[in-house]
Amino acid sequence: MIYLFQILNGVGLGMLYFLLAVGLSVIFGLLQFVNFAHGAFYLLGAYLTYDLVSRGFDFWLAMPIATLIVAGLAALVEVLLLRRIYNLPHSFHILVTVGLALVVQEVTIILWGPLGGSVPAPDGLQGVVILGNFVYPEYRLFTIAFTAVLAGLLWWLLEGTRLGAIVRAGSESHSNMALLGYDTLRINTAVFGFGAGLAGLAGALAAPIRGVEPFMGAEALAIAFVVVVIGGMGSYTGALVAGILVGVIQSLMTTLWPEGARLMIYVAMALVIALRPRGLLGRA
Amino acid sequence: MNVVDRPLIQFGLAVAVALALPFCLSSGILASEVLIFAIVVAACNLLLGYTGLLSFGQGIFFGLGTYFAGVGLTRYGLAVPVVLVGATVIGAVVAAAVGWLSIRRQGVYFVMLTLAFSQLFYFLAYTFSDLTGGDNGILDVPRPNIGGVLNDPWAYYIFVAVCFVVVFGLLLVVTQSTFGRTLLAIRENEPRAAAIGFPTKVFKTQAFAISGAVTAFGGALHAMLIGVAPLSNIEYHTSEQILIMTIIGGTSSLFGSVLGAGFFLLMADALSTIWPRWLLLLGLALIVVALFMQRGLWGLVEKASAALTSRKAADKDAREGGHV
Amino acid sequence: MSRRVLAADDGLRIGVPVPISGAYAANGKYATMGAQMAAEVVSKASGKQVSTLDLDTEGKPAVAVRKVQDAMAQNGVKLFAGGILSSESLAMGKEVDRGQGVFMTTAGADEITGVDCNRATFRWSVPTYGAINQTVRPLINLLPNAKKWYTITPQYVFGEGLLKAAKDIFAEKGIQHVGNSYHSLTDKEFSGYLTNAMAAQPDVLLLLNFGSQSSDTLRQAISFGMKKRMAILVAWASGLEQFEALGADVCEGIYFGAQYWHTADTPFNRDIVPKVREKYGSSPNYSFVGSYICSKLLLDGAVKAGSTDGPAVAKALEGLSYEGPTGREEIRAADHQVIKDYYLLKGKAKSAMKDKDDFAEILSSGKSFLSPEQAGCKMPA
Repeated sequence: MIYLFQILNGVGLGMLYFLLAVGLSVIFGLLQFVNFAHGAFYLLGAYLTYDLVSRGFDFWLAMPIATLIVAGLAALVEVLLLRRIYNLPHSFHILVTVGLALVVQEVTIILWGPLGGSVPAPDGLQGVVILGNFVYPEYRLFTIAFTAVLAGLLWWLLEGTRLGAIVRAGSESHSNMALLGYDTLRINTAVFGFGAGLAGLAGALAAPIRGVEPFMGAEALAIAFVVVVIGGMGSYTGALVAGILVGVIQSLMTTLWPEGARLMIYVAMALVIALRPRGLLGRA
Repeated sequence: MNVVDRPLIQFGLAVAVALALPFCLSSGILASEVLIFAIVVAACNLLLGYTGLLSFGQGIFFGLGTYFAGVGLTRYGLAVPVVLVGATVIGAVVAAAVGWLSIRRQGVYFVMLTLAFSQLFYFLAYTFSDLTGGDNGILDVPRPNIGGVLNDPWAYYIFVAVCFVVVFGLLLVVTQSTFGRTLLAIRENEPRAAAIGFPTKVFKTQAFAISGAVTAFGGALHAMLIGVAPLSNIEYHTSEQILIMTIIGGTSSLFGSVLGAGFFLLMADALSTIWPRWLLLLGLALIVVALFMQRGLWGLVEKASAALTSRKAADKDAREGGHV
Repeated sequence: MSRRVLAADDGLRIGVPVPISGAYAANGKYATMGAQMAAEVVSKASGKQVSTLDLDTEGKPAVAVRKVQDAMAQNGVKLFAGGILSSESLAMGKEVDRGQGVFMTTAGADEITGVDCNRATFRWSVPTYGAINQTVRPLINLLPNAKKWYTITPQYVFGEGLLKAAKDIFAEKGIQHVGNSYHSLTDKEFSGYLTNAMAAQPDVLLLLNFGSQSSDTLRQAISFGMKKRMAILVAWASGLEQFEALGADVCEGIYFGAQYWHTADTPFNRDIVPKVREKYGSSPNYSFVGSYICSKLLLDGAVKAGSTDGPAVAKALEGLSYEGPTGREEIRAADHQVIKDYYLLKGKAKSAMKDKDDFAEILSSGKSFLSPEQAGCKMPA
């Protein structure tokens, strides 16, 4: 029973991980860009939600507003900064985005203080569902359902629409896209803002579960990298499968061998790269 | 080749830095730390600049060296030379293993694999706390007794400076050797190097082993400097810092790494005393370097030197009545 | 090196090595404020010029040790009040001892005044044994029907110390310890551990982690509805700053152990709480007061000894009894541990709060300490 429950809990965690990682994965797939600032967008999404809710905004309003602000800011950063460095080696991507993450973290401390805070679960979702000896928070169930719907929408967007086709074509070859007459610059900006917005949304959704503190971005980044590497960079389905896999491994390990819960995630990641270098579902 | 990139000039600059630091800095500890990180960063540069391998796992070898010194000195009472040699050997062996496993993948996957290894080793160090002291670290690591002056920072600095000059010289020799030139060839065009018949994987693994050996050596020096072998030395942040120093310094020459380490450590030390939010300034500095100084600090030196030499040449031309 | 021994008109200087940047920046911020205030108070009382030197340790032992070494070698500083994390405090204590200075900290590790005790290191905060004995024991008396306890423990020496002390009490009082979950210092997600805890159906959930980890655990436990099903005790809370971050809704009805609480009726609080409120607009928290009292004791010791030389100041402090933040406090000479009260608090409902800082009521307080021999301190001669 407890294993079943840990699996349910792991799926819940995994859906959040998926949301966090899929943006990073899409950005990497299209732009071949290593984004160490992805956790910073998650941090911003969470803090903006926290700020709006404590100003009296309804959570249901705060969440989309926070997401849109993060997406807008990210698009701005892309236009002003990142598009200048796409053609440089990866080491410069790392340098710039690590710098960006530091700036966001410190600005967060300046604006909201170093202490952090709590965000209450929205009205109507504050209770728990009782399953035998176990209880599960309604809000966590909601995030599972919500991210599942979102996952479906994203799948449709990336696999079923023209925009998705363009993005996928772009990840195969950037020059093709330009040859076909698409404005690659604008598509890059849109995709970057979109990916970062998803990280912001993950932060907004996580705020009532985790609360906010200025250093939450680093942990999110580490998880997102693991998920993307296991799932395969640029792969939507990979991010979904790997997100859930990582969530379930983490959750099950807390019952089986708690000391090694974190260790196992990285062992899994090393194994996957060693055996399937492109990730579970990465494009060859 | 630019004049300042010549190995003898590079070596001269390194010796000059080791001699000049005592006159520029009032803290022997900070000066020692700069030189220790200078060789650690140079070792990272051997991978990034000469072999094209962006390793996020340098903290593993640094931490291993730290722990080897900590355990060897406090529990087994090993002599300092034994500790330094032992740390170097351990660093080489583990780096060869990590390198051999990681180079099977390329590009970003390689980076991610080294990142995964660095997390792995962190959690190993955390879990095996009987050996490493876990979060408390290993305390009371003694400093070598040099010339009867125990615990004086500047006495230890002399020891570190000698180590620095020797190791830096050896790294220069490596980069100038056939081996080093082969690494550069692999970096420029790996398929071609392989086609010519170079066992590129063996070369890359060897580069990793050398890099790991030097990094662990630096880690051991660092443990003796601060008297403690802390868990934070094997953390992912240490890897990140070493990498940042390498890129800031510039990867076209080994001496760039000395500049990178010095600049980063001295700037962090100065900024942290003036503003609690100094990391914000550091973040901005990283962005500026990536945008405007892509050859790093060393690139500036090269530019200045190139400008100087061309002016000299121009003067010469003018004197000889040539067209200017 | 003894050029800077305190001359008649020479100013006093105290180093404040705390994490000002990095994950413990919040504690560092208040700690520097507390030290600053102590310097002003001592300056006024003694007529000497007193200044503080903030040293950002970044929460890393290596940085902490280097900054302390530098402050000693370059600025001639011999007094140090700070150290939030156990790892940095242990390392700094050793370093200050080597440099013939004196160091006072609020860090948690038992070793500081236990097996790693030394001539230069003093500790104001109550170690793990006292924290558990002043929280678990009174809570057992308060909740006589709560027979089954579950623990969540960070896996390193500090957590093990708390866990061992708790297990000893469980055995003595016939409490059933229905399970324990270990986690690492980098965990942020506790739902898995909470699921384990729920499966064991305890009457009390005892959290032995601290800082943002205990906040995360507590928030998640409450979202799992555990507050309604069992009592929850956070044995090592960080005080007011943690209550502010958590908010009253989360804290209501939860039991907390605390080193300091600003509503305790002590002469110290009657004096300092209004002053701090006037100056900073909020009540003093643990980081502030811990740093304040460590700095003040060291500075007073230096004034009394007429020197900042480590052994002389240490001598002035050993055995000293004074009016401290928790009432009458005494510095035990044998291991340099301050003997002081530890509190058991209970979170108030938002509607019951008298002001914005009135998050909790004090249920009980008292002193519990192992003897220096039991703690394992063999003070070097």
